[in-house]
Amino acid sequence: MEVLRLPLSASQKGKLISAGYTSIASLSSASPSHLALELKVSETEALEILKSVSDGSRLQSTSSSFTIVDGAQSAWDMLQEEETSIHITTSCADLDSILGGGISCKEVTEIGGVPGIGKTQLGIQLAVNVQIPYDYGGVGGKAIYIDTEGSFMVERALQIAEACSADMAEYSRLHHKGPQACEVKTMQPKDFLENIYYFRVCSYTEQIALTNYLDKFITEHKDVKVVIIDSITFHFRQDFDDMALRTRILSGMALNLMKLARKFGLAVVVLNQVTTKYADGQFHLALALGDSWSHSSTNRIILHWNGNERYAYIDKSPSLRSASAPYSVTPKGIRTSDSNNKRIKHV
Amino acid sequence: MQPENLLLHHTHHCHLSIGCPILDAALGGGIPSNSITELVSESGCGKTQLSLQLLFTAQLPHGLNGSSLYLYSEFPFPYRRFAQLLHSFRSSHPILFANYRDPCDHIFTRDCHTAHHLLDVLLQLESRLKHPKETRLDIKLIVIDSIAALFRSEFENNGADLKKRSALFFKISALLKMYAKRFGIAVVVTNQVVDLVDDSEGVSGVRVGNLEGLWTSGRRVCPALGLSWANCVNSRLFLSRREVIEGVENGLQGDDYGGFVNRRQKRELHVVFAPHLPYSSCEYVIRKEGVFGVDR
Repeated sequence: MEVLRLPLSASQKGKLISAGYTSIASLSSASPSHLALELKVSETEALEILKSVSDGSRLQSTSSSFTIVDGAQSAWDMLQEEETSIHITTSCADLDSILGGGISCKEVTEIGGVPGIGKTQLGIQLAVNVQIPYDYGGVGGKAIYIDTEGSFMVERALQIAEACSADMAEYSRLHHKGPQACEVKTMQPKDFLENIYYFRVCSYTEQIALTNYLDKFITEHKDVKVVIIDSITFHFRQDFDDMALRTRILSGMALNLMKLARKFGLAVVVLNQVTTKYADGQFHLALALGDSWSHSSTNRIILHWNGNERYAYIDKSPSLRSASAPYSVTPKGIRTSDSNNKRIKHV
Repeated sequence: MQPENLLLHHTHHCHLSIGCPILDAALGGGIPSNSITELVSESGCGKTQLSLQLLFTAQLPHGLNGSSLYLYSEFPFPYRRFAQLLHSFRSSHPILFANYRDPCDHIFTRDCHTAHHLLDVLLQLESRLKHPKETRLDIKLIVIDSIAALFRSEFENNGADLKKRSALFFKISALLKMYAKRFGIAVVVTNQVVDLVDDSEGVSGVRVGNLEGLWTSGRRVCPALGLSWANCVNSRLFLSRREVIEGVENGLQGDDYGGFVNRRQKRELHVVFAPHLPYSSCEYVIRKEGVFGVDR
């Protein structure tokens, strides 16, 4: 038994063995609080035991892992990961360029704007674009679309899928001249629809249940690379007398979504509505759900009108500079704005 | 919880025909079911006309083939207009109503006085939708004419009341959307407009949808009930009218008519926002037989 060789008191060793911990490996994944509970010792004692275990194992094995806490990563590793991180294109070149290539996987991105600005359109576009295969520079994944408002229209999704499929055919015609052209399979519009897992949610309890269930669902469907919630807001703007409860529920949901994004390396896109906020004697436009919610997303993009053009503005992001870019909504979906003054503005 | 199959969805998804091929084409097939469509206009533009017409077209066998529920809050109920439309609908579909079917048997009406009253009516509706009467068609269309009248009297313009009001919007809308989804119902809601006095002040002038501003009868207006209600509907259609002088439009000067000018009302339907439609507009006319699109 490995634990007998550890520099621990006899009673501690006895407790460990009677609790079933015989190998060092079994202890390496235990948390101090859990161990304290099982051995009926104080947490500080449990921590000391774990410390001697990790010291012992370090002496034994000369493995190159420098992790202090289990599951931790060094900043160097994270940088490596960041550089290879994948993005889902928005089909608008200007928008992609300010976003550093598109909506990034592993993060929660919130997109807000007034009705009719194109939130749902962007949502459907992302659900289609995530399916673009690797050969075409895409992610080759599937999408989960959670519709709380009933605005997802299959006929529109089909239109966007048709345009995407046509673009792919055009691409393969240009880049794969010759016999290998037929090797790259083009996706049919119907295939796109098949790869969107669509959930229609009719109440906030359903919405909470579904976000809790997503972990299991994605474990069974590992190829899901984007989760779109259109919108997170709708059911939470009804009669909530207890605002503190609402805040708790929402932050629980946000944590859940962030966990999903990290665990499965997928992009979570949360759509939000705009509301009027009274401050300094004037009404302003602000994203709904209040100030505490604004901490919940990693990136925040606000869609707004600028004259006759639609613009996207990066309101919050840990890694991107705040900038705005025009985009347009066409019959084919979200596309680059074709006006002359399409200069990207860095603010 | 299992995801829905979108491919099956596509075949089941259907539209409620307006009863005019031009208007149907302008809206990509008509009013979509499983969704809330809002009709916004000033009074006298044909909101009620159009919604009454839908009560009849919902019964068409190749369309939704269902009954309809008309919840009205602007009194009195337009009996005379209803009778006119009934007559013309009957005569234009003689085979359908030849023997036993009377279109009136499949139209239910109910008056609503306040927003809470509307909520009560909608809550009671669930048992009726769950247990349809066998002799009647299932309810496939709910019209609320108009939502604005319900909210305009009851609430004051202060913070607490506005908050209560918008909570009620979302509650009513969520209920309607749930019925729409579960029972495949098309929901049509009419809304009034308010004049936009000063567009630089506040947020009432904030642009919502495809149009820079909504103009009707030479006035700039915006839909009543504000931004939070705009979040509650899936599609918004705007009916406008303006006076045009015949001939000037065709490039001729008014003088060419020798002082005689022919003024007429030009009515147009605009798509303000809709998840499935781009911006478009279509001219329409109101006739005795109903509302019809004009092909130009």
